[in-house]
Amino acid sequence: MTLTSKSLAVTLFIVLFGGIAFSSAMGWWATESTKVPVTFTDGVFAGQANPADIRGSYTFGDIAKSFNVSPDVLAQAFEITGEEPAAFAVKELEAIYLDSGFEIGTASVRLFVAYYTGLPFDTTGQEIYMPQTATKILLAKGDLTPDQITYLEQYTVTLGEAAPIEQQNVEATPVAAETPVSITEEYVVKGKTTFGELISWGVSQDVIEQLIGAPLPDPAVGVKDYASANGLNFETLKPALQVEVDKVKP
Amino acid sequence: MVTLFGKRIRVFRPRSIWVRKVVQWFFFLLVVLIVVNHSLAESGAGIPFLASASLHAVCPFGGVETLYTFAASGLLVKKIHDSSLVLAGIVLLLSVLFGPVFCGWVCPLGTVQEWVGKLGRKLFRRRYNHFVPARLDNVLRYLRYGVLVWVLYVTATSGTLIFEAYDPYFALFNFWSTEVAWSALVILGVTLTLSIFVERPWCKYACPYGAVLGITNLFRVFSIKRSETTCKADGACSILCPMNIPVDTKTVVRDHQCISCLECTSEAVCPVARTVLFTSGGLK
Repeated sequence: MTLTSKSLAVTLFIVLFGGIAFSSAMGWWATESTKVPVTFTDGVFAGQANPADIRGSYTFGDIAKSFNVSPDVLAQAFEITGEEPAAFAVKELEAIYLDSGFEIGTASVRLFVAYYTGLPFDTTGQEIYMPQTATKILLAKGDLTPDQITYLEQYTVTLGEAAPIEQQNVEATPVAAETPVSITEEYVVKGKTTFGELISWGVSQDVIEQLIGAPLPDPAVGVKDYASANGLNFETLKPALQVEVDKVKP
Repeated sequence: MVTLFGKRIRVFRPRSIWVRKVVQWFFFLLVVLIVVNHSLAESGAGIPFLASASLHAVCPFGGVETLYTFAASGLLVKKIHDSSLVLAGIVLLLSVLFGPVFCGWVCPLGTVQEWVGKLGRKLFRRRYNHFVPARLDNVLRYLRYGVLVWVLYVTATSGTLIFEAYDPYFALFNFWSTEVAWSALVILGVTLTLSIFVERPWCKYACPYGAVLGITNLFRVFSIKRSETTCKADGACSILCPMNIPVDTKTVVRDHQCISCLECTSEAVCPVARTVLFTSGGLK
């Protein structure tokens, strides 16, 4: 059988676009992320979403749907301020941290989500940097393994500015492997202080639970917001917490 | 036919495979449209009837790059989508049937190199595409397999598209974007500059996808075949082959560099009918 250029061109179009149409009909053709990560296929986590499949195109809202990690927690972890943290796209992180000298981006979010949710994540051979704020939240949860804590100590970076960042580049320095993650701000309980900060300052979970009379809420939740939402008087709670902070602050 | 000294003489003028040019233009414009639409979609103003596919989503080489990661973990490399795997499969099927027809007819980077090459052809005429000494050229032709191995290795070990930072194809369609690494822009610049002297330099010496598809030349169903009985041995097929394959010395072209452009066939430069054909059968 001999083909001319015209018959080859026609065949090329039929095979190429016919193949695309066939794959589309079979549900194989996807040019965009479905915003739903693949799930673990075996082991105790079978059926749960795999953090390793989080893409740059995902928003914090997409991650919240699959992993049940609040967009507010992610925003606080990666120091993103703005009206709608749920709409923040993960791929924008790299540009924000461009001048930090460390790649903080999609991989950092994957690691954060994995450690936050307790899902497996292989860091072998990878250098995944984490902002100090994210590490503080993870440590505050108190359920990391010694290996995970060691990894975070090795790859946590301290930002040049303690203030929240919005769409601006920041400078950062790595935390030395042997240096524990430390906090540089004042140890004063304010309206914006979160439970995560209290724990990272050294206040124990038991003491906090005793003072609020309930299990420790999400570490990203502000003490004042929690008090308002649960009928507690912040003006009473604040000095009580401050006393505990003063007892343990370095 | 022209009349010379009272006799009507048939004059052969080398033709080009015009339908290939049309197909090349089609795919070039299609990729431009996809890239522009993707940029517009990111700012919320995409073309309604087009999916906001990224350049990576419609690149079949992405399917090759992610194969190891996909096989090992079921995941795709960052920025790669299912469509890349589908396209890689379709292009492989096309290549098994017709050779690297993707390179010669579809790939927009190959097309742009050809366009730049027209300038070189005008400037250097017969010297164009014959600057590189044959011995050096023969060695350099295998460089792209090294590039392929390197790309597959770094992608498998990193789980990211490391090659994007060196990919002239990505740079060509994103040169205005901050996503493009300077190294990719430099390689694109070098490729286009070399295209003035050498036809398709990236395809010949460095393209890792060309390396993959080129292997199908060894066993493809339809091949370029030359009839020794009717061949006038004028060498036209070899002289005008963009990949410098000595077609006039072969009965079946199994060269790993053939891009199935059909420019050597009797439909184009070969002046004798049914002498160089693109066929699955044998020739007399």
